[in-house]
Amino acid sequence: MSAVEASGLVVVYKGGVKALDGFSLSVGKRELFALVGPNGAGKTTAMKVFTTLLKPTQGEAYVAGHNVLSEAGEVRRIIGYVPQNLSADDELTGMENLVLQGRLYGMNSPEARRRAKELLEMVGLVEAGNRVVGSYSGGMRRRLEIAMGLIHTPEILFLDEPTLGLDVQSRLLIWEHIKQLKNEEGVTIVFTTHYMDEADRLSERVGIIDSGRVVALGSPSELKAGIGGDIIVLKASGGDAADALRGLESVSRVDYVDGEFRVKVANGEEALPEVVKHLVQRGITVERVSLTKPSLDQVFVEYTGKTYREEEPPDYLLQTYIRGRRM
Amino acid sequence: MKSPLIHGTYGLFVREMKKWLRQKPQIIFAFVIPVVWLLLFGKSFNLTYLLNVPLDVPPEVRAVIQRAMEQALLRVFGSLDYFNFFAVGMLSAFALFTSMWSGMSLVWDRRLGYLERMLAAPIPRVSIYLAKVLSTLAKGLLQFSFMLLFVFVVGFTPKQGITIMDILAVYAVMASLILALAAIFTAIAIRITSHDLVISIANLVNLPLLFTSNAIFPLRQMPDWLKLAASLNPLTHSTSLSRYFLLGIGSPSPLQIHAGYMILFTLACIAVGSIVASRYL
Repeated sequence: MSAVEASGLVVVYKGGVKALDGFSLSVGKRELFALVGPNGAGKTTAMKVFTTLLKPTQGEAYVAGHNVLSEAGEVRRIIGYVPQNLSADDELTGMENLVLQGRLYGMNSPEARRRAKELLEMVGLVEAGNRVVGSYSGGMRRRLEIAMGLIHTPEILFLDEPTLGLDVQSRLLIWEHIKQLKNEEGVTIVFTTHYMDEADRLSERVGIIDSGRVVALGSPSELKAGIGGDIIVLKASGGDAADALRGLESVSRVDYVDGEFRVKVANGEEALPEVVKHLVQRGITVERVSLTKPSLDQVFVEYTGKTYREEEPPDYLLQTYIRGRRM
Repeated sequence: MKSPLIHGTYGLFVREMKKWLRQKPQIIFAFVIPVVWLLLFGKSFNLTYLLNVPLDVPPEVRAVIQRAMEQALLRVFGSLDYFNFFAVGMLSAFALFTSMWSGMSLVWDRRLGYLERMLAAPIPRVSIYLAKVLSTLAKGLLQFSFMLLFVFVVGFTPKQGITIMDILAVYAVMASLILALAAIFTAIAIRITSHDLVISIANLVNLPLLFTSNAIFPLRQMPDWLKLAASLNPLTHSTSLSRYFLLGIGSPSPLQIHAGYMILFTLACIAVGSIVASRYL
């Protein structure tokens, strides 16, 4: 049984905005999965369907085998959710926020306090735990909110843009926490991001979403390999390098552009020594060599025909609109 | 506490109260504003002085007229001092003034994103609603307790032989009124996304509800159409009941009608509000 399963989801907001349009997805248990795409692609809408906050107009979604519509209560018990908007209570302390969250999940007071302490330690907020959240920095708030999503030790954690608007250091810290959760606690994690590099570096599998549907699905390396692999750019003299390279099994294609050979291989790091050795053995001098890795940005371009820009809202406008209507 | 309804409502109720108690200015205002109304309005309107018979009337005629005037005052206001009559009316008025804001925190929770967190938690929607209503009840009753103490300090004279049972009865009346009004105003806010709208609604209803009740003036001197409006207004019923228990005005048979109306009205408001909350929150 997969952790998250969606088929043919369509969400049309009042006013006709189609946020999801045939969205299908499957996330395995204990997977660290990223839903990545530009603002307005439908990431948050998909998260809201999975977390039972929004009724899909069409299609079905299951979380841990439970239907998000008919078994919403079950789904809510199993999942943790960290919304995109800052959602901890400003006027309460970190500790109070956590304990309250625990109470909402049916924990008694001592139980909630014990777990809250544990989590404050995990996210490095022990010192700040007794201060009101209004005094926290953006990164601290985010860490607290992730801790809040974990209070009841959920099976599946949904994180909507967990690093939005954070500085590099805070982002790295959040990444550490996410990895730790997945590796040490075995939590299935589904997060959204519009940073392609974040999806690439953090997740095991990625769903690229555009205009309300998943256009590509796979591990970051698979997806990148799917567009033809890495390119070794080299300058060589003293023999027919192109001919020599074509004889190699790992080389799928060789082009000669502007005095340089562009050698397409599946895995650049592995192929590079072999390529150089092969040329040297044939008496060809390698004057210069570099490796170009394809990025998820390029994958996005490949699948959507659009260039990828990491731009901030118009999504916010849509968010405000969405917040008014829910189930 | 195994029921999600109970632990959800309780947890969120504690949250509301913690937030409220932490805002010192807000609490001070909750106590200062009634003081202003009671002292400035209640004490400035001295009917006994206005109805004094002029001194140039012959003494024996004057005594008779004066006694007749006083009896008229006693009959209408239950007291020679209008302040007594007015102060009891203000207890209900402030129940309204406080509970008409009960939807505000829901709108803020929606705007600040906390609502999303509550909605994603495994608690019934209605517990989010009930926590707001109950926290308004707690704040309203605290304010009421303060006002009750204060009116005695500034010279409120209750009926002869008032007992603790009368005071408890007034508590029950106020609790019922606050619950009903909080249930309505929180339910209205369920689909509202702008706090400006909440302010407009509060401004729209506060004075009309106050003036179509007997909180400031008795019903008997109103035109018929206004009497009709007043008879539907829960403030009228709560004020009539409170005046009976505190000042001894009114008689038992219409009191049963007032009490019956309050109970049914409150239950209906909570029931409708809960249904609306479960369906639309």
